[in-house]
Amino acid sequence: MIGTQLDLIVMVNYFVVVVGFGVYFGKYSSTTKDFYFGGQRFAWWVIAFSATATTVGSYSFVKYSAAGYNYGLSSTQSYLNDWFWVPILLLIWLPIIYFQRIQSVPEYFERRFSKTTRLVATVFILIYLIGYVGINLLTLGQALHTMLGWSVFAGASLACVAVTFYVFAGGQTSVIMTDLVQGITLLIVGVGIFLAGVAHFGGFVDWWALMPESHRYIFSEFNKPDKFSFIGVYGQDGLANTGAFVLMNQGIIMRFLALRSVKDARKMSICWILVLAPLAAITVSGGGWIAKALVENGELETTANDSFIHAAHLLCSPGIFGFVLAALMAALMSTADTLINASSAVFVNDVYRPYFKKEAKDTHYLKVARISSLSVAAIGLLLVPIFDGETVYQAHAKFTAAITPPIVMAILLGILWKRFNTPAALATMVGGGALVFLSTFSPFDALFLKPLAFGMGEGSYKFIRAVFGLLVSGGLGVIVAYATRPQPLESIAGLITGTQLQAMEFFKGAPLNRREGEVVYVPVETDASLSGDETVLVSSAHMETLAAEAGDLLYVCDRRWWFGGLRSFHTKAVEGGEGATLRLSAEAMARGHFQDGDVVYIEKQF
Amino acid sequence: MVDMARVWPILCQFGIGGLLCAVGVWAGLSSGYLDMKLKDDRRLVAVIVGGFVGLLVLSCAFTFWLPFVGGGDAS
Repeated sequence: MIGTQLDLIVMVNYFVVVVGFGVYFGKYSSTTKDFYFGGQRFAWWVIAFSATATTVGSYSFVKYSAAGYNYGLSSTQSYLNDWFWVPILLLIWLPIIYFQRIQSVPEYFERRFSKTTRLVATVFILIYLIGYVGINLLTLGQALHTMLGWSVFAGASLACVAVTFYVFAGGQTSVIMTDLVQGITLLIVGVGIFLAGVAHFGGFVDWWALMPESHRYIFSEFNKPDKFSFIGVYGQDGLANTGAFVLMNQGIIMRFLALRSVKDARKMSICWILVLAPLAAITVSGGGWIAKALVENGELETTANDSFIHAAHLLCSPGIFGFVLAALMAALMSTADTLINASSAVFVNDVYRPYFKKEAKDTHYLKVARISSLSVAAIGLLLVPIFDGETVYQAHAKFTAAITPPIVMAILLGILWKRFNTPAALATMVGGGALVFLSTFSPFDALFLKPLAFGMGEGSYKFIRAVFGLLVSGGLGVIVAYATRPQPLESIAGLITGTQLQAMEFFKGAPLNRREGEVVYVPVETDASLSGDETVLVSSAHMETLAAEAGDLLYVCDRRWWFGGLRSFHTKAVEGGEGATLRLSAEAMARGHFQDGDVVYIEKQF
Repeated sequence: MVDMARVWPILCQFGIGGLLCAVGVWAGLSSGYLDMKLKDDRRLVAVIVGGFVGLLVLSCAFTFWLPFVGGGDAS
């Protein structure tokens, strides 16, 4: 066991608090919209922190600390190349999925292409997601084995039950709120260890002087070393993985759809990628940098893989080290909960609803959503002993490497190019995926990948495969698109770039009002004469301040920012009434979790 | 003598990255979704450009300057 009894107590308490916190927020989930999209009411900062926790995966501390120990600052490369995808995310992809009310990536494939394309995407994405649930639970079990000496399966089972407990209770709302706590914990602990290390050496200048010169560059050299060259990391992470992250990661897409507006998506992306991602890079790599300096200073002996734990153990007193262990748990749990919720969403939206029960009450789908969350977690747990045997683990890794670039290219070409049609999308995904899968076997690896490896050896193939995947699947798609007829433009309106405004009109169901108004702060009051859960009366004066017209979309939210949007709801503007209050029906008050006299702010969306 | 193995990563990341940013902004502008008459939209474009330039400056600082500060060997 690592650490003392006190550390163990701190970690167990953290575990209990997080699970309890998640279960508490289950009361905010009463519809499938709440269960999968948190009611679309969250503020940007809540989602930014929770997304950070999700992206710091179960393997991150070990992987990036090892890279930081071996290669220095260039371990941050993966966290600093996301910004370039933000314009495509915010200005093309997000408006399409948000305003077209698309709930999953496969659903986009059906709307944009065909039912067959959706089926292919569903199968690929479900295998990818459920496999990852298994891998995450395995990593959780291995971490608990290292920390507490439990068997891997026992640790994975306990963690699985805990995570599933709050996912079952509150779905996305619980996932977001627990990941908010876990994101803050991760960043405080990770950055704290780095700063404690720097202070240990006497300041930044002294720490920097201990770092070898080769460790001080933000990028590794262009084509060396084979296993950490810039071009390999950039191809695999900066292009394929980040592309997948913003375009096909169901968990992240659901996080964006949980935001109260696309305006908040902008703030969230900026905060997440420009502020929190660099902090996350320090969080996961800092232990490796400090360990390297400690080794150079003759104070520590360690290996790259153990560098984080050893550096943290040396710098932290008992009890404080318990928080480090808690942060590791936070990284593990915050990824697993998102994957379980996302897999359940794809199952219900793309398998159950279209193939088993098309029309049913929302309460029925909510029940199925909860049961499918349990089922996904159970399947993931069953995969743990299988993945522990390496062969299946490797097979899943190969499968993931094979499908990621083709799906990214299919979505990218689908949103950018109106000529890109159903046969082209199928050729991109199936043909591209098959060729990438083939490239994982000899002699095809050398045949396909060597020409793209910039003189590097076999050690680079794992990275270069992503570049090959993007090129070959994109190339196949372009050839087939030119060889076949394009779809009529009217059938894909609102689903490709150039038609974002049509998507907005579809969302609103009326012409857009993009006049700039101001936010209005006003107390709420129940009006018993109103009925329906989205009925409000806004006074004429407030309508004028908002620059709103009847039928415009409004967002009404408790003014206390620390609720993060939990007490809020969307509605349509209805002009009526006088005076300085906002009059709401009893149902609307309940939906927004308001009480008479609460001050809310009203924001016009469009 | 500039070590091109250190320069190519910057050219590659910010060259391809610039292209991706340009595609996104062009798509926003050409569709009318990005309306430069709106304050929020102007701010978004400024932040996109600012983020790009900020990352470029950071990358250059940690490639051409800071590695040689505090006892590093100039290459």
